[in-house]
Amino acid sequence: MNDFLQLVFQGLGIGAIYALVSLGFVLLIRAASVVNFGQGEFSMLGAYLLVVFFNMWGIPYLIGMALSVIIMAGFGLIFAYCTYWPLRFRGGLPVIISTIGASIFLQNMVLFLYGPSSVPVDDLFDTPGIQIGEVFLASQYLAIIVIAAALVGLQYFIFEKTLLGKKLQATSQDKEMASLLGIPVVLMIMITFAYSSALGGLAGMLVAPILFVSVNMAGIITLKAFAANIIGGYGSIPGAILGGLALGVAETLGAAYISVPYKDAFAFLMLLAFLMVRPQGLFGEKISEKA
Amino acid sequence: MLITRRSALLSAATITTVGTTLGVSRRARAAETMKIGVVSPLTGPVAEAGRIQLNSLRLAVEKQNAAGGALGQQIELIVEDDQSTNPGAVLAFSRLAERKEIVGFIGSIRSTQMNAMAPDMLKVAKPVMFGGTDPTLTKLGNPWLFRCRPNDGYSGRVIVSFVTDSMKLKKVALIHSTDAFGTGGKNAILANLEKKGLQPALVQGYTNNQPDFSPVVLAVKSSGADVIVSYFTNEPDCAVFARQLRQLGIRTPWVGSPSIQSPVTRGLAKNALYGTYAVADFVEDSNPTAKAFADVYRGKHKESPDSGWTYDGLMILAKGMNDAKSTEPEKIRQAILSIKKYAGTEGEYNFDQFGDGLHGYNIVINNNDKIDYKEHIEFTD
Repeated sequence: MNDFLQLVFQGLGIGAIYALVSLGFVLLIRAASVVNFGQGEFSMLGAYLLVVFFNMWGIPYLIGMALSVIIMAGFGLIFAYCTYWPLRFRGGLPVIISTIGASIFLQNMVLFLYGPSSVPVDDLFDTPGIQIGEVFLASQYLAIIVIAAALVGLQYFIFEKTLLGKKLQATSQDKEMASLLGIPVVLMIMITFAYSSALGGLAGMLVAPILFVSVNMAGIITLKAFAANIIGGYGSIPGAILGGLALGVAETLGAAYISVPYKDAFAFLMLLAFLMVRPQGLFGEKISEKA
Repeated sequence: MLITRRSALLSAATITTVGTTLGVSRRARAAETMKIGVVSPLTGPVAEAGRIQLNSLRLAVEKQNAAGGALGQQIELIVEDDQSTNPGAVLAFSRLAERKEIVGFIGSIRSTQMNAMAPDMLKVAKPVMFGGTDPTLTKLGNPWLFRCRPNDGYSGRVIVSFVTDSMKLKKVALIHSTDAFGTGGKNAILANLEKKGLQPALVQGYTNNQPDFSPVVLAVKSSGADVIVSYFTNEPDCAVFARQLRQLGIRTPWVGSPSIQSPVTRGLAKNALYGTYAVADFVEDSNPTAKAFADVYRGKHKESPDSGWTYDGLMILAKGMNDAKSTEPEKIRQAILSIKKYAGTEGEYNFDQFGDGLHGYNIVINNNDKIDYKEHIEFTD
């Protein structure tokens, strides 16, 4: 039982990371109908910024994180200007290809600047974790779960309780109608890019002490976050969170009780199962076309 | 000054002759170098190891060229990036294979890449010095492969011998990557445990590049093993496992394959690897050649090398050419197979009929991030 609880905790921790990255995907899908394959690179860049501020310049950890989040938000705007803006009237596919191109460019840019070596980063807290009975709650995993939960709460508050949130939602639901109502659609999309980039960067900073910082650190996480997005319901915010957590727990338990080498396969088997049995995902709306 | 037709023609002829001579001599100089093809990870997850391997190679080239090169010609490296992947390695080797002037190759330290490139290497039929430690690589009937590190058959024997004879431990939890390197290591450990009449308490494979090893750590914990034996391929995987192992309070003694004591792994895992043992092919305190190489490397690159196999590979290839007095591949092959008691950085090379140059391993211990040489175990059978 203790091992089971330990595994669930670990699964929730890794699932919270998938959820954060998935959330970045979902926001852009909703606001701009863009699947951003550079989302993983947002995480990688955020982690490298933390390395620069904390490891290299000695800026205190939390200030370094805050600065990185701000810079990543700004970077999101530049990213949108380069990859989305010139292609915004050409449909979804050119923008997707553009984000793939940007992702390759960013990887190689970081490789050129910082080299291929993985870089260790300190945990957020000095204490390694809390022991509850036989279950050890690692501080970094706890931090990830708590920050992910706080961000979900904040996001709920912004989207449901503020005028900005209502405008963002209106933009995501129907851009033309939103525009007719006087909502600055372009500004809303740019805000979403900035927020998505900051969120991705934060996810990268949180996972950096566990996975270390490298050019390839976000590869498998991004793939699984995208799978979580499908499992939760394509474009659904609660779906992204629940999908990420479910994926993290399922693959950890699957690895422990069925097979470790097939750990990655469980995530994608789950994706296939959902696509076959419930393609709209956990929270997605069933869309059918009239004959 | 009057320019006659004769003087104009003479000047033109002189210019043409001088120009042609310069051109020819430039081409001749370019052709004079002895070209060695190198497949190396310049990019991708293991590019850090590739950087150190390439630095070592360049030191070997400098040393050998200062001593006259190969067959009186200066050695030149032609490097292709394998991108840390199997398809990348195959592509890199095929690019090199097209260059007929290349007389020999430095292959990969990764068995999985060597397996991928081996069929093309057989077709090219020129000597390839490599570092992959999967024992089967030299038993595939490919006569062109020469290994400059001890194979996992030996590492498995040394680990089992050290665990059971020196540490007096019997319940082994075996953790291994499911790639060619890890599977080769696993098979070697299992075979050697069986020879001693022992069954492992746990055999647990994993796929490379994992963000979380908690299922593996908990499997070790519940196995009741009194020693962990590991074959990790990628340094970050080893570091993630080490940190989670210690976080979950497991202090079981640990003996690992060489990656556990590489500077990269130690830099990532830090104190989670203190007190662990490793088999190591390259230990600078294990022999004078290794010590001298490490000193030169440190002087030039301000860091310690973690391997010397590419250095040895190039020196042996050059020795093979010089001994054979020819660039004919078969003659070089025979000359390399004849090399005995050659003092390399990785140990004493005695090539056997299969192309394995080394037949033993060192055991080292991580004493608060300092790698201390413990013992060398050599096999002659």
